[in-house]
Formats: sequence, C-alpha cells, structure tokens
Amino acid sequence: MTGMNAFIHDLIAYSPQILTGLKNTMLLMGIISVTGFFGGIAVFYLTLSSRKTCRIITEKYISFFIGTPLLVHLFLMYYGLPELGVRISPLTVSVIGFTLNVSAYNARYLMTAFHGLDRMELEAARAEGFTPLEIFCLIILPQTLRRAVPSLTNQVIQNLKDTSVAFLIQYNDFFSQIQEVASTNFEFFKAYVTAGLVYLALVSVIVVLSRRLEKRIALPGF
Amino acid sequence: MTFWQILQVLATGAGFTILVTAASMSAGLLIGLAAAMLSRIRWKPVQHLLVAFTFVFRGIPVLVLLFIVFFGLPSIGIRVPPFLSMVLTLGLISGAYLAEIFRGAMNSVNLDEILAAEAMGMTRAQGFLYIMLPQMFRFSIPGMINEFTSVLKYTPFAYTVGIPEIMKQAMSLTPMIMRGLEVYLAVGIIYFVIYKLCLMCFTALEKRYRIPGLSAD
Amino acid sequence: MALIEVNNLVKQFDDKIVLKEVNLALDEGQVKVIMGPSGCGKSTLLRCLNLLDPPTSGRIVFKGEEITRPGVDVRKLRQSIGFVFQNFALYRHLTVLDNVTLALKKIKKMTARKATEKASYELERVGMFEHRDKYPAQLSGGQKQRAAIVRALAMDPAVLFLDEPTSSLDPQMSREVVSVINKLYLDNVTMFCVTHDAFLAKYISDSVVFMDEGVILAEEIAERLFYDHPDPRIRQFYLGVIDMK
Repeated sequence: MTGMNAFIHDLIAYSPQILTGLKNTMLLMGIISVTGFFGGIAVFYLTLSSRKTCRIITEKYISFFIGTPLLVHLFLMYYGLPELGVRISPLTVSVIGFTLNVSAYNARYLMTAFHGLDRMELEAARAEGFTPLEIFCLIILPQTLRRAVPSLTNQVIQNLKDTSVAFLIQYNDFFSQIQEVASTNFEFFKAYVTAGLVYLALVSVIVVLSRRLEKRIALPGF
Repeated sequence: MTFWQILQVLATGAGFTILVTAASMSAGLLIGLAAAMLSRIRWKPVQHLLVAFTFVFRGIPVLVLLFIVFFGLPSIGIRVPPFLSMVLTLGLISGAYLAEIFRGAMNSVNLDEILAAEAMGMTRAQGFLYIMLPQMFRFSIPGMINEFTSVLKYTPFAYTVGIPEIMKQAMSLTPMIMRGLEVYLAVGIIYFVIYKLCLMCFTALEKRYRIPGLSAD
Repeated sequence: MALIEVNNLVKQFDDKIVLKEVNLALDEGQVKVIMGPSGCGKSTLLRCLNLLDPPTSGRIVFKGEEITRPGVDVRKLRQSIGFVFQNFALYRHLTVLDNVTLALKKIKKMTARKATEKASYELERVGMFEHRDKYPAQLSGGQKQRAAIVRALAMDPAVLFLDEPTSSLDPQMSREVVSVINKLYLDNVTMFCVTHDAFLAKYISDSVVFMDEGVILAEEIAERLFYDHPDPRIRQFYLGVIDMK
C-alpha cells in the first residue's frame, strides 16, 4: 500500500506537467477532429465530382491513407522533411498527418451514408433547378451527415486514442508525460494503467456527448 | 544507395510485419468469436463482463495497452516477450471490435432457419455450427476486412518493443544514409503494397465463396 | 391404433390460453387439415405436437409412446416428424441439394454419396432436381416451398406437418405447391396441415378440423364443412375465405 501512496504522491508532484500533457492531447484531438471533419466533407465532395480524373485521384487518396499507417506519414514529415530544409514542429506535423488520415476515413463514412440515399430525391432537386453545389449543400450533406453521425463520432474517439502516437515524434502529450513519471519512479505498470484509465474516462465523456448529439439531430424516419 | 535498394532492405522487415498481423488477427478472431458466442448466454454476470471487455479494449489506445503489457507487466513480475506482447495487445483490441461485428452479423441470421434445423432434430450446437456460423462469417466479411486493415496499420508500433519489422528497419537505416524522406516514403509504399495484395486476396476469396442473397449489404 | 393421439392438450402463454383441452387423432396414411381464423391456435397446435412449444398440460401419444412425459428424446421425435414452415426457412447459405442433404448427413449419418442419391430422388419427385445447385435467393416462392417440402420428406418422417404452406405465395405459385402436396396425398403420406387456403384443404384432405379460440368446433370431410354448415361461426369463416379469393 505504501507503494501506491508513493505513486500517488509522484502523480501529484508531476501534476503540472501531466495537466499540460493532457491539455496538449485535448488540443491535438480538438484540432484534428475539426479539420478532419471539414476535410472529410471536402474529400467527399470531390468523390462526387463529374470529372473522372478528379474522382479517381480522390479514390486513390482515400485508399492510400486508409491503407498505410499514420505513423509512417508522421515519420515521413518529421524525420524526412528536414532534409529539404523544412523543419516543422511536432504539433504541426501531427495536425497535417492526422488531418489527411481522418479526412480520408470521414470521407469514406460519408460515401457509405451517401449510398443509402434515395436517388430520386437528387433527381427531384435537379429537376427543380438547383445547381450541383446547392444540391450537395442542401440535400446530400444534411442527410449523409446525419446518417454518418455514429461513424463520425466513433472517429472522434479514434482520434483521441490515436493522439497517443504523437509522443513518438516528441509531441508533449499526456502519454509522454506519464512516461516521464514512470521513468523517474520505475512504476511502469501503475503509470500505464493510470494512463489507460484516463483515456477510458475521456472516451466515456465523448460517448455520452455523442449520444446527446445523436438524439438532438434525430429526424423522424431516419 | 538507390531507392530500389532501400526498398529491398526494408522489405526484409516485411516478413515480421506480416507475421505480427497474421498472428494478431488470428488471436483477434478467436477472442472476438468467443466473446460473440458468450454474448448469447443470457446470464447477467457474463453480460456485464462482456460489456466491460468491449468498453476497455475498444477504449484504450493501442500504444498504451502495448506499454502496459510489455513495460508494465514486468514491474509486477510478469515478463511477456515482445512478439507475444504485440499479438496480445492487437489481439485483445481487434477481438473487442470483432466481437461487435460478429454480434451484429448474428442478428442478421434468420432465426427461423435455426428453428427449422431444430425441428428436424438437430441439437442447438448443430444448428449453431451448420447454420449460424457459416452465415455469420459471410455477413462479417466487410467488418473483418476493416479490422484486418486496422491491425496491419498498427503493426509499426512493434518497433517500440524491438521487433525487427519494417519500421524498425527504417529507423536503423535512416541515420546511416541520412535520407529519411526516401526511407519513409519506401515504408509507405511497402505497407500500401501489402495492404493492396491482402485486399485482393480477400476480395478473390469473398467472390469465390459468395452466395446469392447472402452478403452484408 | 392412431399414429398421433392428443388428449386434453392445453397450451398457455403467460396468461393467455391458446389451446383449451384439444382432443385429436391422426391415423397412419391419413391427411388432416386444420383450419380456422387467425390466432385460433392452429399453428400453436402443430408446434406443440413436435414439442417446439412444450404443452402446458395434456397428453400426446406418438407411435404408441407418450411424448409429453419428462425425459422423452425430443430430437428422436422430431426426426420422425417433417416440418414445413410458412416462410420456407431454407438455409440461405446452402444450395437446394445441400439444404436437403445437411440433415441426412449430420443427423442420419449418411455418407455424402448416399445422401446425395436420396436427395436427388426426392427432388426429382417434386420436379426440383434441375434446380439442385441454386441457392434459395435464386428460387421463386413456389420453388422454395417445394425445396422445403423435399428437405422434410427426405428424412422419411412418419408424418409431415405443414404450417400454412401456401400463405406466403401468390396464387400461381400456390397452385404449384398444392399440386405437389396433392401428389403426396395420393402417395399416402401422412400429413397434418394448417392452412387458410380452402383450395388446398379441399384437394388434399381426408378430413378438415375447424378450430376457433383454441377449441375444435367440428371435424368433417371438406365438403360438409364448406357448404352450409349449421354452426354460424364456421359458415361465416368460409364466406370470408371465399370472399378473399
């Protein structure tokens, strides 16, 4: 039991650092959830383009980012770009890398939702004289977004969990700070389990919030 | 060193990458299947246990679980070798996701068919084995492919515990030739090739065993 | 001695009594059709007889053995009762042939070759042999029900139960299935058939049992039930059935 007390004591002693780490984790998660959301919509829009080359390139983009590990993209930018004289901070690298990844996933969820859409509605909108962009914004997007809510909120949870990867490129996130604590007192098990519990708690918060969101935006017949 | 040579050096790690992926996916399938089967037991304690299982392993980041298993467990006296740590981590996490996929797929199976099997004199076990399982697997294919992709993409973490897979090769090569850009580009390409090849195999398999009227969508 | 004898059969779901002291007998080679309005308990009766729904009380004797006593071998009983469902319940992941052979191989422990031979013979009987390699999704409703009948028949059951075999079919396909069942009737297959279909009842029955609210009101040959029966409830039911046609 004294071990536990000592460990808690250490956690408290390091709490400013840990809180900064937690703040950085939330910051990264917040940014990439927003950029990934809008990026996803943009990519989704491109998949519906009337130009074949545009559609093919977009498909390739999605396929590449779904098929290759995020860590590779981060390392490529963090360790590779300095050779070209481009030196960017871990946060910027993470934001760019995550945004490209998350956008690809979100676009895919929106595409799946789009497949379940009633094509006659789009025909009707075209017949009424709406432009393609208007049809996208007024008819397609509101419906696909609504249908994709469970996947999109799941992606936010995924974002939170995946931010822990950023410490591998020296981003001072929550997990990196927990590592610091662990490496000073050698209580690896307790430290990592604590980290796990904190992530689980944060996931629960997102789950509760997304349930509320789902209820709020629910429409009859959806 | 040409780009082609870089690819060749890195490809020596591909074997480990594929091994880790295959072993983790197998572990995940077993764990997921067991959890999905247990979920049919309407006994409260079992249900609570399964809810906790899925919540924990779907909620915890891969890297955190890996560090708990590999760096954490030894400090309470349990030493887990690197390969096993990786497989255990990815197996538990993908198992939790696959359990949900399987559960959903079981709900797509028509219970009247199971009833028909029992009306002919089959036992519950036979009905499960011959009717439920074959159909459930077919409904789970898209979900299983997604999960496989996810497992493959988490394998680079194996370098953190010292498994000589692609990423580890890349990290030891980079400081030697000082060409990180090319090295990591090559890593990306190799992963993409593995991903595409596996996807092609799965699609071919799925086509081969496709049954009219029985697909997930 | 009757093949199936039912004495004072009662079935209760929660607080709803579905079958009230039903008495019934079926001889070997006999075909009985059970008719009655929806929810009269006729489908429940069939499901009680092969213990898919365990009866609340009463006695069922099958081949001289009381099957309502505890410890009876339910699986053995069900193997000798073929069951055909309203919605076919074909195994969607298996071809027509495999649908028929599965139970032969797994329950009757036949070799694959024997099972295929047996299944082919039975499929030929109902004109389904040419469709043996198709999956259920590739069949019409009538073909599905014929395949389901073959699946039950191939087990060589002592009796065939048919639970509304034509009610999810359109008239054309329904006729297809009626003619198959009629053929079985002429081949002296023992059958218990629950139906709404007066056409089916007329063509395949030795006698028709009329049920309402869990009670058997009458049991007679089809003609006598259909035309001007003294019981007003039965008269009304048949007027309704004929109206629907």
